[in-house]
Amino acid sequence: MRRNEFMSEATVNEFRPQRADAVTAPISEDWLAVVLGLSIFVLALAAVVNVDLIGWVVTTSVWSNFGQALKATSKDFSSLGGYGALVATYVALLVVLSAGAVALRANVARFALAFTAVFWIAYASWVIGNYANFAAVTPAEQQKFGISWSLKLTNEGGYIFALIAGLIIANFFPRFAEAVKEAVRPELYIKVAIVILGGVFAVTAASKLGFASSLLLRGVAAIVEAYLIYWAVVYYVARKWFGFNREWAAPLASGISICGVSAAIAVGGAIRARPVVPVLVSSLVVIFAVVEVLILPFIAQAFLSHQPLVAGAWMGLAVKTDGAAVAAGGITESLILAKNAAEGVNYQTGWILGTATTVKVFIDIFIGIWAFVLGYIWTNHINVTPDQDKAKAKEIWQRFPKFIIGFVITFAVGLYLALGTPADIAKKVPAAIGEANTFRVIFFILTFFSIGVLSNLKTLWQEGFGKLAAVYVLSLFGFVIWVGLLISWIFFGGVTPPLAS
Amino acid sequence: MSQTNIQEELNRAQTEPLLPIEKKLIGWSLGIGIVLLVALALLNHFAPATF
Repeated sequence: MRRNEFMSEATVNEFRPQRADAVTAPISEDWLAVVLGLSIFVLALAAVVNVDLIGWVVTTSVWSNFGQALKATSKDFSSLGGYGALVATYVALLVVLSAGAVALRANVARFALAFTAVFWIAYASWVIGNYANFAAVTPAEQQKFGISWSLKLTNEGGYIFALIAGLIIANFFPRFAEAVKEAVRPELYIKVAIVILGGVFAVTAASKLGFASSLLLRGVAAIVEAYLIYWAVVYYVARKWFGFNREWAAPLASGISICGVSAAIAVGGAIRARPVVPVLVSSLVVIFAVVEVLILPFIAQAFLSHQPLVAGAWMGLAVKTDGAAVAAGGITESLILAKNAAEGVNYQTGWILGTATTVKVFIDIFIGIWAFVLGYIWTNHINVTPDQDKAKAKEIWQRFPKFIIGFVITFAVGLYLALGTPADIAKKVPAAIGEANTFRVIFFILTFFSIGVLSNLKTLWQEGFGKLAAVYVLSLFGFVIWVGLLISWIFFGGVTPPLAS
Repeated sequence: MSQTNIQEELNRAQTEPLLPIEKKLIGWSLGIGIVLLVALALLNHFAPATF
């Protein structure tokens, strides 16, 4: 495979750079995510003018009696019942995502079958995670459900169940994992979710614009940390202490310090590394991201429950890959809000997740520029290449994560609707975007499950992987998460979200 | 992906000493990064995040 071919694949489909379909697809997963996310957002906004187009989407409540677990999001569609809403949601997603598969030039029949399995297993895991003995938090809730104990994972603990279901499939049923891989697209799912999240966060931020602007400052600090501090240290550690050559050290440092898979592949392409290098680094990143998602939110709950925004920013900085970072922000929010609720303090939802997402999005914005900087240094000073193969400025745009455009659009529109429209319209915006948020939750569930399915832990025992993993462990647990924590503390220490009214 | 022999790939990679340009890259990154972080922290100190 020639280098340029790899690069075009990589930007299209980070997790499967070897896929043939991605090479010829008329649209990338990034742009598809923008289209899907914006479509859901626009359809949801119809509720502002009293036209409820997506109120049928299914939502799950904490349950002890299964009959009460599922319902349609909007009362306008209550006649559907829980099962009807679930089937309607499945059919709608199947149709829309299959159309997306056509656009990606994937095998549609295989995708539809695989998505059916992915959706039902993932959503079943979510519903199980909402069982009262797992999810109920406060004594009042336990009393309501007639239970004497609970793991207090909150309803969003269901994400962990979806992740574990995926891990079980990846590690004990590898043939099944292979059979459903067409629909195992965590990057697509999380990018759709992030586009929707822009609007959701706008509604939250509209009430506290002063804090939202402070968050931008933290976003800039995150860029500085990830690119200038982490990258330099990890690159030095990989080169000097572990003896990796430049071709390995640059993607490895990018994967560990910036944004996991995306950065490893972007930088690998920019420095003209052989395709196998960033692909192997990516497989390592995905596995460690799973470990982080399973550990860090619970550490945050244990030690940072009174510093919720420090915890949110920490997830955005420390957890690699978009999916895992934003997902970890979601779990952290639910765990920390639950712990505070048990102590009688009820914070508004959305701020911890919003902080984690904003930090992550800010880091993503810079990937193309950093890849270009490294590409320029490599092709001009290290491996001097002929002029036609030197790094070019247009690569910045080629590597720019396009889904961020969707996030910015939904954030701007959401903010305008919440602040710039007459009161009778503005008051309908939160409920309208809330319907889109239900879809966001479903895309999170699909993301968690997909990340699990991609995480075959046997990879860690593969000969030679230990050295790569050692750099990762040393850098991540010895440096990255602690510096991230320290700087998150400097910027957000003592700042708490508003109380829920 | 997992069928690729990582050990083989790593063995094939030859040891390369740090070039002056790499040292410069690391040094300048860290230097600029620390200065910018201090500046941002000061900015945050005088205009702290608040609700």
